[in-house]
Amino acid sequence: MAEYRETPLAERPKTLDPNEYFNVSLEKRGAEEARAAFRANLKRQYQMQLNNPHRKELIEDPALTNWVQARGNIYPHFRPTQRTSMFGLAFGVVPLFFFYYVFKTTRDWKEERIRSGTDTQKYRLTS
Amino acid sequence: MAGVGFRRLAKTLAKGKGPGLSALLSGCRAASGMSKDMIPGPYPKTPEERAAAAKKYNLRVEDYEPYPDNGEGFGDYPKLPDKSQHERDPWYNWDHPDLRRNWGEPIHWDFDMLTRNRVDMSPSPVSWSSMCKQLFGFIGFMLFMFYLGEKFPSYQPVAPKQYPYNDLYLERGGDPEKQPEEVKNYEI
Repeated sequence: MAEYRETPLAERPKTLDPNEYFNVSLEKRGAEEARAAFRANLKRQYQMQLNNPHRKELIEDPALTNWVQARGNIYPHFRPTQRTSMFGLAFGVVPLFFFYYVFKTTRDWKEERIRSGTDTQKYRLTS
Repeated sequence: MAGVGFRRLAKTLAKGKGPGLSALLSGCRAASGMSKDMIPGPYPKTPEERAAAAKKYNLRVEDYEPYPDNGEGFGDYPKLPDKSQHERDPWYNWDHPDLRRNWGEPIHWDFDMLTRNRVDMSPSPVSWSSMCKQLFGFIGFMLFMFYLGEKFPSYQPVAPKQYPYNDLYLERGGDPEKQPEEVKNYEI
């Protein structure tokens, strides 16, 4: 139980992280302070807008805008490389041929069974 | 027509050079869309670009790490650690408590996957390999046993049902005057 192992889908909790307890250096604490300052500034901005009695409109979140735009504008930064071409083939072209082959073969088998009279399935959900 | 980059588009079309259809498609963007600084830019190459990108995304310059530039279309969007919203402190005073997120905090690329309704990447009490072994071991064992049961069925011995009174001769509409044939269902 003392040997907690990290895996791709289960990461180490902060309370079990030895860096929290042993590598306490000044730079690390300075970095934590800077991050906390960022966070405090953002919180302040939000609270100022939230509690503003003259505000009539929605509070716009620039991080959300950035995220939405990033997810929507993937093509401008897309470049056909070997990796992306592999993905394109694997997900765009191969399924066509694969499913054509699978469906054709299984339905040919069924047709053969029905024609020769060896089909034992009386009730079919998918006719 | 309100378009951004319209003049440049017209120039390239007039010149006749350019890659043709792709120039037409991406040359002009409607002016009602986002301003150029909100759309993620290309992968940052110089330190100044990195600093500008870190500022845009509200991150420290040391913390800012873009996705590797392998043409997959991320641009300069930061690569945040893969932690799901399940792991965040439930008692902290978040601005948006249901999402466990503060206003203005940079959003992970897969944020919609990591919400509290969806994928949970929090540390597991038992190790991953142990969980996999238990689950797939159980499923595999049950499948194997069902397969065996299909191959070697075992059930109570049965025989066709035996009826009294000479196979219910009178009840089945037999002639009461005639003598039915004797049906013997037992052996002493």
